[in-house]
Amino acid sequence: MVGMSVLRSAAAFAARLSPLKSGNNAANVLTRAIQRTDKVAVRWGHGKKMFVIKPTDFYDRRFLRLLQYYILLTGIPMAVIVTCVNVFAGEAELAEAPEDYEPEHWEYYKHPITRWIARNFYDSPVKDYEKMMAAIQIEKEKADMRLTQLEVRRQMRTKGDGPWFQVGTLNKELIDYSPKATPDN
Amino acid sequence: MPTDFDKGAYPEPPRQTPAVDKQTALPNPALILSKLFYYSVDLPVTTFRDAVDSIRAKNKSVYYHQKFRRVPDLTECQQGDYLCYYEAEMQWRRDYKVDQEIVKVVQERMRACHQREGASYQQNCAKEIEQFNEATKNFQSRYGDLGAYGSGRKCLMKQKERMMAAQASSA
Repeated sequence: MVGMSVLRSAAAFAARLSPLKSGNNAANVLTRAIQRTDKVAVRWGHGKKMFVIKPTDFYDRRFLRLLQYYILLTGIPMAVIVTCVNVFAGEAELAEAPEDYEPEHWEYYKHPITRWIARNFYDSPVKDYEKMMAAIQIEKEKADMRLTQLEVRRQMRTKGDGPWFQVGTLNKELIDYSPKATPDN
Repeated sequence: MPTDFDKGAYPEPPRQTPAVDKQTALPNPALILSKLFYYSVDLPVTTFRDAVDSIRAKNKSVYYHQKFRRVPDLTECQQGDYLCYYEAEMQWRRDYKVDQEIVKVVQERMRACHQREGASYQQNCAKEIEQFNEATKNFQSRYGDLGAYGSGRKCLMKQKERMMAAQASSA
């Protein structure tokens, strides 16, 4: 309101303070000649467009997306398979073994997947036990043989009548006794 | 449905709920809530379980308990007979597992009794408590303090120490 005179500015200020008095008609209010700073139309519709500057989250989101993808790639089939096994082939029930029947080694487990793994991949615990016993037997025989070898060495060294620890000497028939043939040489 | 627990091992005291004697015309909120729970939770879960059981009924299988033969003990093995040592050690380990489970069962019974009796458990469950104390004392004296590398040999040596201590204290 720089170009207005003092009176005009006073009239505008009075109109601003009480906009509904008779002198200030609607036209002046509508044409925004009278300032109505207390009643501003605030609309949160589209708002003022802001350009938000933040560091890139492309790599983080890409990592999480790929993680999700690769986990679910095998996770979902596995979950489906396990659910189907649990619904269609249920867990086994405990029963008394009949007198003359020797159960197979996988029939000692409850869950069908454990039974399947024990049947197709694992050796029976009896076989594992026997394998361990075979390993122990081999080691025992090796230890016994080593002890006997030490004993035999000791005996052959001391007695000297065995095939070991024989030192080869020259043939006695090659000795030339001619310098000692007569006592006066 | 999965089998119920052993009623003989965990006996329930006789029920003392009085007969229903309705004296007002107002509805009973406990009854309403129980019916609500039944229709919203119990019935759907039971029907689902029955459906799955009817599918499973076609391929039923059984599993058994494995029975192991008794083999000569560590005390009956010759010196240097490593195969005998191995078999005795495996038998000792199986017996150790069995003893652990026995102690767990006794403990479970005592805890069930405690839960049932509430505030007066010390008086009413005296039998279970005494059984538990005896079981744990024996387990501790036989298998306690053997350490992470405990074996049948160390257990035998511990038994020898116990017998020596008993003889020294009695003599």
